[in-house]
Amino acid sequence: MKLFFHIPLFLVTAISSLAYAESSMELNGREIMEEVYNRHQQYPYVYEEQSMVMSDRNGKRDTRKAHRYSRVEEDGTAKFMLVFDFPHEIRGVAVLATRDPLGVMTKSIYLPAFAEQLIESKGESSDGNFLGTDFSVENIIGEKLSDYQYTRRQNRTIRNMQYFTIDVHGLNEDVNLTKPLRRHFVRQDNFFISQTEHYDSHGRVHKRQSHHDIRAVDGDMWRSGMILIEDIKEQHQSLLKVTRRLFSHDYVPAEIFTAEWLYQNHPYIPPEDMDDETEAEEEVVMSVNNEEQLSQLDDEVMVQP
Amino acid sequence: MITKLFMLGCNDRKGVFLALLIVTLFFAGGLPKLEIDTGVDSLIPANDPGRLIYQRVAGEFGTDNKTIIYIKDSQLWTPAKLGRLQKLHEDLEQIPNVSRVDSLYSLHTIDGKDGKVDTKPVLRDAPQTDEEAQIAKQNAMANPLYQGNFFSDDGSVTAMIVAVENTNDEKNFSRTMFDAMESLLSEHRSGFEHMTQVGSPRINAELKKSLYEDFVLLGPLSGLILVLAILFFMRSGLSAFIPLATSTLTIVWTFGMLGWTGIPLNILSAMLPSLIIVIGSTEDTHLMSAFFRGLSTAEKEPRKEAIEYMASHIGLPLMLTVLTTSLGFASNMFSDIGLIQHFAIASTFAMLANGIITILVVPLILSIFGPNQARQLDSDETRSSIPDRVIKSFRYSQDRFPGAILIGTTLLCLFFIYQASTLYVTNDPLSYFPSDRPLIQDTKRIHEDLAGIKIFFITLETKTKNSFHDPKNIEKLKQIQDFMKKQGVFDRSISLADHLAFVNREFRGDFAELSLPKTRQLVAQYLMFFHRSDLDSYVSHDYSRANIVVRHNVSDSHTLNSYIEELEDTVKHIIGPEMKAHIIGENLMVNSAAENLMVAQIKALAILLTLIFIIMSAMFTSFKGGLIALVPAIIPIALMFGIMGLLDISLNPGTAMVAVIAIGIAVDGTIHLLARYNELCRRTSNYKEAVYIAVQEEATPLIVSSLALSLGFGVLLFSNFTVVAQFGALAAATMLFSIFANLLVTPIIMSKVRLVGLYQILAMNIDKTVLDGTPLFNNMTNYQRRKAILISELNEFSAGDLLVEQDTTGRDMFLILSGQAEVIRRDDGEARTLATLNPGAVFGEIGYIREAERTADVRATTDISALRFDYQKMQNDLKFFPNIVAKLNFNISYILGERLADMVENSKK
Repeated sequence: MKLFFHIPLFLVTAISSLAYAESSMELNGREIMEEVYNRHQQYPYVYEEQSMVMSDRNGKRDTRKAHRYSRVEEDGTAKFMLVFDFPHEIRGVAVLATRDPLGVMTKSIYLPAFAEQLIESKGESSDGNFLGTDFSVENIIGEKLSDYQYTRRQNRTIRNMQYFTIDVHGLNEDVNLTKPLRRHFVRQDNFFISQTEHYDSHGRVHKRQSHHDIRAVDGDMWRSGMILIEDIKEQHQSLLKVTRRLFSHDYVPAEIFTAEWLYQNHPYIPPEDMDDETEAEEEVVMSVNNEEQLSQLDDEVMVQP
Repeated sequence: MITKLFMLGCNDRKGVFLALLIVTLFFAGGLPKLEIDTGVDSLIPANDPGRLIYQRVAGEFGTDNKTIIYIKDSQLWTPAKLGRLQKLHEDLEQIPNVSRVDSLYSLHTIDGKDGKVDTKPVLRDAPQTDEEAQIAKQNAMANPLYQGNFFSDDGSVTAMIVAVENTNDEKNFSRTMFDAMESLLSEHRSGFEHMTQVGSPRINAELKKSLYEDFVLLGPLSGLILVLAILFFMRSGLSAFIPLATSTLTIVWTFGMLGWTGIPLNILSAMLPSLIIVIGSTEDTHLMSAFFRGLSTAEKEPRKEAIEYMASHIGLPLMLTVLTTSLGFASNMFSDIGLIQHFAIASTFAMLANGIITILVVPLILSIFGPNQARQLDSDETRSSIPDRVIKSFRYSQDRFPGAILIGTTLLCLFFIYQASTLYVTNDPLSYFPSDRPLIQDTKRIHEDLAGIKIFFITLETKTKNSFHDPKNIEKLKQIQDFMKKQGVFDRSISLADHLAFVNREFRGDFAELSLPKTRQLVAQYLMFFHRSDLDSYVSHDYSRANIVVRHNVSDSHTLNSYIEELEDTVKHIIGPEMKAHIIGENLMVNSAAENLMVAQIKALAILLTLIFIIMSAMFTSFKGGLIALVPAIIPIALMFGIMGLLDISLNPGTAMVAVIAIGIAVDGTIHLLARYNELCRRTSNYKEAVYIAVQEEATPLIVSSLALSLGFGVLLFSNFTVVAQFGALAAATMLFSIFANLLVTPIIMSKVRLVGLYQILAMNIDKTVLDGTPLFNNMTNYQRRKAILISELNEFSAGDLLVEQDTTGRDMFLILSGQAEVIRRDDGEARTLATLNPGAVFGEIGYIREAERTADVRATTDISALRFDYQKMQNDLKFFPNIVAKLNFNISYILGERLADMVENSKK
């Protein structure tokens, strides 16, 4: 009896999955990207504690720690703030970015050693890196879909994983004649962008962003535990490791994204009040061995240009 | 022994030919292995302590070895031109081994305006409109870090800086890179008013190209001039062929040796073929002159006898001249500079090889192809010859004003030595090229529009991480840079302080001045706006070391070294005891090596002059001989240095060698002159006449060889390198000065001195029994006897000649070497034979002791060889040998005593 019931159920599930799979095969580029956006980029409150390792062309490394706050309001306004915590000399340095529902991005920078002042930084494309890292704000919070054209290309299979390949062009460009700005590799099973290659005007890869330690965090939403950006032309890279992530409104209240909050929590100290003695540096207690992570990443590099 | 060596080529032609063939083939095998070194490394002493520091600093902050692509266009900031620049930038990046291209398309800037700050590329892509282009220009020109490095003040010039890496350790890397970049630039050049590249690849490529051109031109030109000169003076085809043959073999041996030993060719090597041809030919000229002289006295086997004559008369002087010339070149090995050392090894080997080849080949050729008859010289030809005219004019002055000539020469030398005190040294590779060379013009252009292409670093080191987050330490960087601005010789300097001042200005907004941040926190926060690669050249990763990059165009080593010294003192004062500073750079090491040139030059000169003095003193068994030999060496050198001072010619790797090489060559003429004079002194008591004859005989080969040398060195004026051309000009002038010294001044000094050659002492061939039997040389060693004999004159008398006449006065004493004579007393018309004198007998001793009338005639009964001892001459010439004088005087006293005793005995009978 049970078998009689389970077999049809199995058949229905299988047929549905196949149908679903079949239907996803028919998605175009924009539809895929919308699915990506809907699944992974819309969670309203995200708090992360991050470690960043920047490695230059000589292999020398700098380490920073930061807290990241992101919030998506009901009207679609996205807010993002990164506050550095380590080394101690840059404690309180913050990047505050807001993207309004129309997609207009404003960025500001706060240097607590400079002045009690939020300094506006002019917006740039995803190539506009901030504060000496290889990351841009868009790399972290995602791009505005309405600003681009998305063209689906041939699927790829890498290490037994199926990927959609999506080329990104500017709105006014001819997708058949111009080279793409970047290419996303989207996992077909979970619609998560595992890797993005950024191209220069000659179609050469000049930057590569890859996500690692990808896990499901809630339902269909996946997040990566590490993001690596490699600047191939300049031969340096930045690795961002999320040491703690919380999806909680309590950690990301609206007032955090204000200048006042910054001034209060990371006040400006005038030079005359600054302590002249050298402070001892805190030891970086990394929950991750960076060397190990970077060597592991070599195995996980998905697509060779 | 020397004669035997010379006769090898004549007596065993096949053996000598085979040996030469084998050796030549062996050396020829080394020719394909020849390498060329035009690198800067050879200009830096191997033991320079700065080398290690430089390698460490360059390893940390990046090399100073970069190529600048200079682009000038009055319409530079237009979409079309900027588009072309972008294409050029991208094409440069595609060239293999190019590791990095920095231009306005790779630069980032920080723009602070209206309360907003933006970090952005100067230019991401070529602008599409004029407005965009002007915005790009404003962005670029607003950043003080880029002015002078990437943009001129007026914006009409931009630079692309290309870093290359020889990852595959390619041999012709410089040439490859230069050609690749040049090929690319030639495609783009038409799009701009002016475009050129300057950097190590181009400099090395041009050095090598010029080196090849010199090799191809100078050697054959020297050969041509040599042939023409010899044909003109000596009117003999064989005399022209022989030097070419010996030079060719020498060149093969020398360059083959360099190939086998791995010693590279350098710009100084380019003059080796010319030197070999020119210097080698002088001895060949002397040999040919002697050969022709020998032909005139040859009887049965003219060639062989002439070769023997040549060997016996020129053999020793030739070996001495080979030795002194080689010593002259070898003394350059004292230099710490690899360039000069390698040249010294090559040239010394060349001179020695040329000597060996000359000794073997010349007799070989002459024994087969030499003429069998002497040429009859037209007397008119003799009178009208240049050397004769020169001698006549000199003789007139020597006869009338010998003292004035000596005083005048001394004053002239002192004047020129005083002028020489203004000499300065330089070792800059760019100064090797003439100033009108395109490379130098381009360098000057870059210096005027941007900043000089020469770079050095000022590195400050601390032991603590993040020391250069401390504003106090950053302030020190600024103070050093401010001091350099005051010095006014360095074009541009950039440091971490400039970067921070710029960011601070942009954050503070419009109209803010450049000032440094006041707290380390602000420093650290500002530094977040730079990528690590932006600061690679200016600060170490842990901020414990900072680097100031300085660009300049100073080529005068002396000026540069003195400013660097001043800078070092100031830097030490600014940084205090907690920091260490190094002022280092490849061009600094090259320029500081210039100081070594001066020291090495003085050392080499001193040693060479000492060696020549010792050799000549030994040769002529007299310190006077040594000093005389120095006179014609010192005079030309004093004049040469004086001219350098007057004409503002620097002491560089080329001119630094002139003195020692010129001494080594100039002394050759002196050796020939002294040797001939010495020989003649044995045949006449009239030293003045001996000087005349010596000068007369040696003038022609001396003037011919000096003129030929002068012309040969003059060929080097056609060199692509100023150092080689200057060497040639100065060496040519020195050869001409040596004529003046050897033929005008030296003869005046020579006539006051009687020299005895060591070799003559050793080679003297007098019957030992005669020496042992004569009472004049009792208790004297062989050496003392020979010395005494050589001070005397050898006189030949025929049978019946009167050696001494009764009732005449004379201060001569005679010793019979061979033959027989009679002592005849004439009284009242009757002649009585008092004694018969045989070999070993001494007569005339009374007149020797005191001036008195001769008491009898002495007449030769057979042909006689006798030594004549003049009292005054003996006392003058032997005054430095009191031992010999004492023994002679004692022996003469003994002879007189014996004579008196015999007279008393006879009177009793």
